[in-house]
Amino acid sequence: MHDFLSILPLLIIVGGAILLMLLSAFEKVQVEIASFISMAFFAAAFFVQLLVGCGPETVVFAKIFNGMLVTSNFTMVGGLIILGCGFFTAMSAHSYFKVNLFCTLEFYCMMMFAACGMLLLTMSQELISAFIALEIMSLSIYILVGYDRANVTATEAILKYLMLGAFAGAFFTMGTALIYGGTGTTKFAGIATMISATPAAHPFLIAGSFFIFAALLFKVAAFPFHAWVIDVYDGASTPVTGFMATALKTAVFVVFANFLALSAGMHSSWITFLFWVSVLTMFGGNLVAIGQSSLKRMLAASGIVHSGYLLIALVAISTDHFTGSVIGYYLAAYAVGTLGIFAALSYLGGKDEKRGTFDDFKGLAQVRPYSAAAITVFLLSMAGIPPTAGFMGKFYIITSAISAGQTALAVLGVISSILSMWYYLRLVINMYFYEAEDSFEIAGSPLATAGTFVLVVCVFAIGLYPIII
Amino acid sequence: MFEYALSVMIFLPILGGLAMLLMPISRGASRITGLIVSLVVLLMGIELFLGFTGTGGMEYLENRPWIESLGISYGLGVDGISLLVLMTGAVLFPMVFAIFTTQSKGYYANLLIAQGAMIGAICATDLVLFYIFWEIMLLPIFFMIGIYGGPKRLPATLKITIYTIAGSLLMLAALVYVGVSYHNQFGKWTFDIVQLGALDLGGGFAILAFLMFMVAFAIKIPLFPFHTWLPDAYTEAPTATTFVLSAIMAKIGVYGVIRFVIPVFEVEFVRFAVLLSLAGVVGMMYCGLAAIAQKDMKRMLAFSSASHMGIIAVGVFCMNTQALTGSLFQIAAHATSTGVLFLFVGLMEERMGTREIGDLGGIAYRAPIFATFFAIAMLASVGLPGTSGFIGEFLIILGAIKFSGFIGFLAGTSLIIGVCYMLWMFQRVFFEKENDRTAAFPDLNVREILTFLPVILLIIGMGIFPQTFIKKIEPAAQLQIAKVFAMTQSQVAETTVPKPGHNNHKN
Repeated sequence: MHDFLSILPLLIIVGGAILLMLLSAFEKVQVEIASFISMAFFAAAFFVQLLVGCGPETVVFAKIFNGMLVTSNFTMVGGLIILGCGFFTAMSAHSYFKVNLFCTLEFYCMMMFAACGMLLLTMSQELISAFIALEIMSLSIYILVGYDRANVTATEAILKYLMLGAFAGAFFTMGTALIYGGTGTTKFAGIATMISATPAAHPFLIAGSFFIFAALLFKVAAFPFHAWVIDVYDGASTPVTGFMATALKTAVFVVFANFLALSAGMHSSWITFLFWVSVLTMFGGNLVAIGQSSLKRMLAASGIVHSGYLLIALVAISTDHFTGSVIGYYLAAYAVGTLGIFAALSYLGGKDEKRGTFDDFKGLAQVRPYSAAAITVFLLSMAGIPPTAGFMGKFYIITSAISAGQTALAVLGVISSILSMWYYLRLVINMYFYEAEDSFEIAGSPLATAGTFVLVVCVFAIGLYPIII
Repeated sequence: MFEYALSVMIFLPILGGLAMLLMPISRGASRITGLIVSLVVLLMGIELFLGFTGTGGMEYLENRPWIESLGISYGLGVDGISLLVLMTGAVLFPMVFAIFTTQSKGYYANLLIAQGAMIGAICATDLVLFYIFWEIMLLPIFFMIGIYGGPKRLPATLKITIYTIAGSLLMLAALVYVGVSYHNQFGKWTFDIVQLGALDLGGGFAILAFLMFMVAFAIKIPLFPFHTWLPDAYTEAPTATTFVLSAIMAKIGVYGVIRFVIPVFEVEFVRFAVLLSLAGVVGMMYCGLAAIAQKDMKRMLAFSSASHMGIIAVGVFCMNTQALTGSLFQIAAHATSTGVLFLFVGLMEERMGTREIGDLGGIAYRAPIFATFFAIAMLASVGLPGTSGFIGEFLIILGAIKFSGFIGFLAGTSLIIGVCYMLWMFQRVFFEKENDRTAAFPDLNVREILTFLPVILLIIGMGIFPQTFIKKIEPAAQLQIAKVFAMTQSQVAETTVPKPGHNNHKN
């Protein structure tokens, strides 16, 4: 029964995906209907997840599927974020594909399959199931990235992503094999027992965890595996980019934290490594972002920086009382801000995403003051200015880092967010302090617009009532 | 009803401003709304001032837990330290709405949001809540300079924003450090400033955190050598923003040092006091000398404002009751005098389209009332006896001499520089020959006279009856100083007799 309850949201999503797949055989079913169907399924799964996970206990279901999966508050929050991302992405895709006509029903179907891979990934407590989940997610995302077949940048993006992603998948398998060789098990709990039983780490274990880290760091675009992210985000269509930047990162960070928190020995031996990765990710990402002139590329690079902040939280997690609340909160805050800005770009971008650079948005505030205000709120949240969700997220991360004795890392994180002000403010300045040259006509449906404003409310709601997470 | 007075004073302007932005109303209606809201806040402020007992503790307390897992609460309160700062925030705003009639809706809305956020920062007794308001108050300033500012507004906006954000993010790291240290020492989370006073910090990280706090506040004040954003921002900003920046926001920097830095970092503060007061004095002299050389009246006033902020800061760093009381008094005195001067320059610019000192002359013959008001505000700003400026500066110099004869001497002499540039400017602008431009200068009309008169009377009133104000703030200042000395002495005693096996300086 617990097994069934814990994967019920996942089953709902799979059901929706299969339904869409079958429907796509009929010519009469339109793309708009598909987006409504997927929204409905995402919403239903969201509420089921909320109902299952709203209890007070930290670990909801411990030993499900023979210990291969776990449902804790942390995975629940991760799942909620992913489902929310799916919902809002479907909303903005609805508007986006009114103008850019290359969508078929399978788009939403693929998105739901990706979401179900992500949900499974958050719950995995075992390396093989994690790998399967990772691949379900990645394969669907590859298709989504290259969905616009006629577009050269999209084709370039998928080629890069597929090649490198295949390597990452191979690394993950290799790591799993080595860990199995070292410990004789692929379950997180079993690995933890082995680590605490043998103080001197087995070379296979070290090498195996290194490979797994490499694969996961690739997926979250951490230094030095971040180079792909700019081109891929740029090439994918705007709603997909938003989905990748938020839901995918959430799923991978949840499993990353679960893996890292499995034993104190594991965490402490990798802490210096992660410290430097996090510092380099933050500053490398900032350097890349400062030089960009395209908004999507800037947001991709700022996504790297946010991965760096999340890595700070990973360095600071306590393996004894691991709740993941800091990471979960930051992921939610980041997801809301990023999704919001991509939703806004979906309806402001126009046909073939003709408005995509900083200069294209000059004077937006005069023509569309509410949209400009919404984008400003998202940017401020990403920059960590109160009273937005991003501020509380940053506050929690700094607090957890200093509590864990990582004061230097906290200060470096702060310095990095000072640097990031530059490119966030640049867009605000362009929107407000210049005369409008464009008419910013909005074609398509109002759904993306509605989603944007709902997300503005979310930014403040999550920021002012952090208790909900 | 009045127990929520502070919340109302904070959120009425903020919500009013936001509503104005969201609703399609005309510019006239938005100005009237702004005027009404700011008058309500003013009346509440006066009521609060009269009801304030001045025992030295916090009054009008509001406290409810907000984020319990980290001990963050929604805590508000007023004591002698914040009273006059709060009053300047409440009293001066209606003037702006009354005088400037031709601005756009967003301008008035941003002003209201700035007022609410500033009052919030002044009243907050929780460090995190303070930080939140502190950051919010930058946003309206950012938009006002960027949208409504002068021709070189973009670099000015960037400069002030990057400067202040850099400072405040460093402060964020430092305040988290303080909270975590409290948790380590006492086993519970809190950011309440009264409880944080019990902290016993030491070691390298404490000094680093102290410096981070100081940099954030020094940028806002601005203290030498962090003042370089000021001339550009003050000059390019629209008059009302310059007024808000100089009259209130700079004061919140000083107030932040008194309220949040001194109680937590007593030892570090005492250690750095001489250096900091020197920075204050050097800033006074430097900005004073720079003011003499300016051709633009607004820029001159910007430097003069920076110079006066130097002396207010010196008063804080001298750490005795006289100097601290003087500083608190001078905060209000300087806000009224310099703030009004900025508004006068704004008026002149509106009427003549220039603020170059060289283009002006002979205004006093055309506009005697204007010239008289200007003269009173100017003399208060240079500290003429009988005006508000004298009392504050006198107390500060007195305290500075008690602290160190050298600092006191330097501070006293640099006041003379202030007299030089102000009087010289007054001579060139108001006397000498009138020209075509100034010949047509209309005097203040009735509305403007009625707007300025209360503040001019306040300037004189504060100079003649300072005791009304001082008796409300002095107990709190005494208490603050007494706490610092009790804390530093107990620390000295502890360090001279080390207890074996007990580590006081826990990080």
